[in-house]
Amino acid sequence: MFIKVDFKTGVPAYLQIVDQVKRAAASGSLQAGDSLPPIRTLAERLSVNRNTVAKAYTELESQDVIEAKVGRGCVIAANQSPLKKVVRQRFLDEAIDAAIIQSHHLQFNKEEFLKRVEQRVNHFEEQKDQNRKQQLEKEL
Amino acid sequence: MSKEPPVIEVKDLVRSYRSTEAVLGLNLRVQPGRCYGFFGRNGAGKTTTIKCLLDLLRPTSGTVRLFGMDPARDELAVKRRFAYVPDTVAFYPWMSVQQWFNYLASFREKWNQQLERELTNRFQIDLKQNANSLSKGQKMQVALIGALCPEPELLILDEPTSGLDPLVRREFIKTVIGAYQEGDPGKRTVFVSTHLITEFEGLIDEFTVIEQGRDIVTMETDDARADFRKMRSRFAGELPKLDRVPGWMPRFEGRELEVCVNGDREQTIAKLRALGGEVIAEESLSLEEIFLVILNQNTAKS
Repeated sequence: MFIKVDFKTGVPAYLQIVDQVKRAAASGSLQAGDSLPPIRTLAERLSVNRNTVAKAYTELESQDVIEAKVGRGCVIAANQSPLKKVVRQRFLDEAIDAAIIQSHHLQFNKEEFLKRVEQRVNHFEEQKDQNRKQQLEKEL
Repeated sequence: MSKEPPVIEVKDLVRSYRSTEAVLGLNLRVQPGRCYGFFGRNGAGKTTTIKCLLDLLRPTSGTVRLFGMDPARDELAVKRRFAYVPDTVAFYPWMSVQQWFNYLASFREKWNQQLERELTNRFQIDLKQNANSLSKGQKMQVALIGALCPEPELLILDEPTSGLDPLVRREFIKTVIGAYQEGDPGKRTVFVSTHLITEFEGLIDEFTVIEQGRDIVTMETDDARADFRKMRSRFAGELPKLDRVPGWMPRFEGRELEVCVNGDREQTIAKLRALGGEVIAEESLSLEEIFLVILNQNTAKS
C-alpha cells in the first residue's frame, strides 16, 4: 500500500500514518498477515524521521491493528473485523463532512445539497447498470 | 520518562568576543533520541553555541552540559560519545578517503566498517581517491560518513547541507539520519544547526530558534504545524481595510485574503468573520515558513 504524508494538513505525521494503515486494514487493502514496510524504509520513502514511523507503529500496535512478528517486522493483526464497520463509517463521515463544508462554500443550502447527493448516487447506479449491460453484451 | 540526563543542556549561556556578544543568555535542552533543529539566520550565534558545546570556546558565563557532564572537565568522557561535522571540512592533503577513515577510526573505540561500505557505495565515493580533491559536496558526504561510523550517541551537525548539490541534499541527509538512527533506535540524538530548513522538513522532532544570541522559541514540530497556519478567506462585499494585526502578514489576491495564524485559530476565524470574510481554506505552514514567521514576529516585538 502507498502511505503518504502531507505536512500542510497540520495533522502530526505519525497520526497520518496510523490513520492510513487503519483505513487500509478496514477497506481490505491490507489484510491480516500482510507486512508493513520496515521502519527505516518507510521513513526514507516519506522523508520523515525514524522516530515518526516508530511512533506510528507503536500506536498501531497498542490499538491491536498490527503486531510485531519475529523476522517479519510488523504485520496486520488478525481479527480486524469487529472494528471494521465502525471504522469504515468514520471514514465515510469524514468524506461527507468535507463535502458538506465544500457545498457551504459554494453556497448550496441543505435541500439542494441532499438532492444533489441523491442525484449523484443515482448517476453512479445507472452507470453501474450500463457497464453491466455492456459486459453482458460482450460476453454474448 | 527516562532518568537519563538530557544529551545537551545549556543554561543561560553567554559568550562574548572582546566587546561583542555572540551568545546572550541561551537555554537549550535536548532529550535522548531526538532529531533536534537549531535554527537561526547567519550570525545569530549558532556556531558560537556549538563551539561551546565542543569545548572549543569556554563560556563567558552560564553552563553547558553534555550527557550531564561538563565538556571542559570531562573532556574524554564527553568526546568519546559524540561526533561533530563542521560547516566546512578539510582533510590532510596526502590522504585518500580510505586513509582518512582509517585515521579517524584510530581515535575511536568503535568503527562500523559495514556502514562505511554501505554509505560509500550508495553515494559512489571512491575510497582510493585523494580526499582533498573531492568536490565540496563529496567532502561533506565523506565527513558525515566519518562521523557516523564510530556510532556515537550524539551527532552534532553545523550547516551540513550548505555545500551540497540541491538535488542530493535531501536524499543524502535523510539517508544519513536514517542510517544513524537505525543503529540504536530511539537512543541516538541528532543536533542540526541550519538556516536551510526546507531540507529538514519531516526530519525534525523539536527545534529552537535562535536570534541575536537568544533562544526565542522552542517547540515540538507537530505542535508548531498545528499552531502555525495560513488561512484564506473570501470577501463577498467590500474588501476590508486592515488595521495592523501583529503577525498576520496579510496578502490580498482579488477577493481573497490570506493571513497567518499563530495558535489563535478560533480568534482569527472570529476576526475574519467580523470583517465580513468567509474562511474557505487553511493549511499548515512549512517548517521554513514557520521559522520566518517567528523571526518576523520577534522583529515586530522589539
